[in-house]
Amino acid sequence: MLKINELQASIDESKILKGLNLTINPGEVHAIMGPNGSGKSTLASVLAGREDYGIDGGTVDFNGTDLLDMDATERARAGLFLAFQYPVEIPGVSNINFMRAAVNGKREHEGLDPIKGKDFLQMVKEKAKLVELDGRLRNRSVNEGFSGGEKKRNEIFQMAMLEPKLAILDETDSGLDIDALRVVSEGVNAMRSPDRSFLVITHYQRLLDYIVPDFVHVLVDGRIVRSGGKELALELEERGYDWIKQETVA
Amino acid sequence: MMDLAKPQVMDRATQSVQHAATQERGVAFVDALDGIMGSARATYDEVLASLPVPHRRVERWKYTPVASWWNEVKSAEPMTAAEAGCEPNPIPGFDAYRLVFVNGSFDAAASDLPVHPGVICMPLSQAPVESLQSIDQHQPEQAEWFAALNGKFASEGMYLRVEKNTILDRPILIHHHSTGGGSVSFLRHDLVIEANSQVQCVQWSTASDDAVGAVNVVTRASIGENTRVSLDKVQDEAGQIKHVAFEDIRQDRGSRADVHTVTIRGQWVRNDLAFRINGEGAHAELNGIFLPLDGEFVDNHTTVDHRVAHCTSSENYKGILYGKSTGVFNGKVFVRPDAQQTNAYQQNANILASDQATMNAKPELEIYADDVKCSHGCTIGQFDNEALFYARSRGVGLEAAKAMLVHAFIGEVLQGLAVPEVRLEVEHRLAEKHQWEIWSDHPDNES
Ligand SMILES: Nc1ncnc2c1ncn2[C@@H]1O[C@H](COP(=O)(O)OP(=O)(O)OP(=O)(O)O)[C@@H](O)[C@H]1O
Ligand SMILES: [Mg+2]
Repeated sequence: MLKINELQASIDESKILKGLNLTINPGEVHAIMGPNGSGKSTLASVLAGREDYGIDGGTVDFNGTDLLDMDATERARAGLFLAFQYPVEIPGVSNINFMRAAVNGKREHEGLDPIKGKDFLQMVKEKAKLVELDGRLRNRSVNEGFSGGEKKRNEIFQMAMLEPKLAILDETDSGLDIDALRVVSEGVNAMRSPDRSFLVITHYQRLLDYIVPDFVHVLVDGRIVRSGGKELALELEERGYDWIKQETVA
Repeated sequence: MMDLAKPQVMDRATQSVQHAATQERGVAFVDALDGIMGSARATYDEVLASLPVPHRRVERWKYTPVASWWNEVKSAEPMTAAEAGCEPNPIPGFDAYRLVFVNGSFDAAASDLPVHPGVICMPLSQAPVESLQSIDQHQPEQAEWFAALNGKFASEGMYLRVEKNTILDRPILIHHHSTGGGSVSFLRHDLVIEANSQVQCVQWSTASDDAVGAVNVVTRASIGENTRVSLDKVQDEAGQIKHVAFEDIRQDRGSRADVHTVTIRGQWVRNDLAFRINGEGAHAELNGIFLPLDGEFVDNHTTVDHRVAHCTSSENYKGILYGKSTGVFNGKVFVRPDAQQTNAYQQNANILASDQATMNAKPELEIYADDVKCSHGCTIGQFDNEALFYARSRGVGLEAAKAMLVHAFIGEVLQGLAVPEVRLEVEHRLAEKHQWEIWSDHPDNES
């Protein structure tokens, strides 16, 4: 699905990713944890095609194509999805029109005609149910005035609408109350399938109780310094990051 | 390029020579028109002579290039809409009264004049002279050369008189079409709407693809007590038409006047819109959008003159400038000493969609009363990159994402258009011009 090889990326002259390796196979769920500022969101943004970053080295293969050669739109249409840590507000664009443009973009890529109004509304209804998205939020402007939790729910709703091959969730759990965390996790779990992969960025073991990962990686200072099974998350929860940092330096 | 107040650098000697040359060209222009159209109203000769010919040295024309386009004047070719190949109704199926003008002359066969109790509506050339004189007393043309030119040469347009307590059942559409040939078309619309009435007007201008020339339109409206009048003004002229328009709106007590100016297309457009609020409790609403493409020039000058107490005005102009286009916005708000408790709002927001586009924006608030609420804002910015990336990360193409932001940006002004059919057609034409995917429920768009 995704093969990242020695990826280096920088912003405004400062190096953030410093030779990052990660392979995700179809159907797998990978979790990335790591201290603030270690580069987790940078990795997510670079993969999604944000142009502010400079790629200084390395390769990324996405289902046999060179991911870094595609622009953000093409990556999304090829099946990559990023749930933002800080979802963007777009005043004046209704959530529903936004999603319609997104769905039609994907359909165009697949050689399909634009979706019919009726079918689209049916799809919206179905997917909104999955994450219990309040009906009123669909007609409001994209994320405008949404609460923190509503924004995160909206991200997962969008993911469900677009049915990506690889979904990167950047701290989707932050800002969610306990019930919302369960609902959103169940939504994600309902979408798990042998040909869909997830990269889940989080600070908390709690989320991983719901979305159980196959692998856990620790990102420190732009590199993955340790990988393990789901028990690694428990260990981090207990011991913090210092011991890993020290072992890495040593 | 941001250009809020670019100083004019020129040495003095050249300045006066240039200005004299412009003045001379102006006189030659008037003489040429005299030859073609016949000197209609002698009184305007003095007015014209006393006014400076528009030039960059004249403050109100500082950012508006006028010098080059009036060198050659030809007479307008009288034509019918049918001969011009122009659809009389620019909005398919729009149910409105209609006055159609081609190259400045009235086409009776293509028109459908209002027949309604309390309403007198006819082409200006047929209007009774006394009624015109009563309007003429106001003479808004005292201030601007182009308007005075219109005063001298305009012999056609719409004359509308609406008696008090009249609610017109359909909008009145004034459609002007130019075929050009280097001619100048003058139109003058005079509206007198008496108390407690409601009228919606639409002014729509079009031109043939190969049209060359100029259009000069003056609209004067006197709006009675507690009367509501709206004017949706749409400029969609192909070819190379220079368009100068003046609106002079005078409002009585408790009235509400809305003017919405949408410039879809135009090589060179100057709109001069003035409200004079003469009666307490009146509201003036003026909104506009302009989206010039490469090579197009759009200038909106507005004046809101609060002369009495307890009135409100709300102004919102939005521009999106593409390619090497230029926009000008100048918004004057006067609050006179007697105009206490005025609430005036002005907003002008612009997006430079290209780094070669130029926007000159200048709010001018002159407030002489102390108990007032006036706010204004003026911005010149680029597309919101965060929003663009967000949309693209969902698989929306870059151009489609920009179109989405543009539609959102101009949305509030579009929604404010008084006549829904006009809004739909404007969206449709904008989408066509800019090759956007359509969002509207226009009949041409089946999805
Ligand atoms: N525009 C920028 N200019 C300079 N440095 C930046 C810029 N954007 C991000 N950085 C830096 O890059 C580093 C990595 O940031 P990133 O957002 O990837 O961290 P993170 O691991 O996601 O942190 P968190 O857990 O707090 O979300 C940080 O030190 C941050 O300050
Ligand atoms: Mg982060």
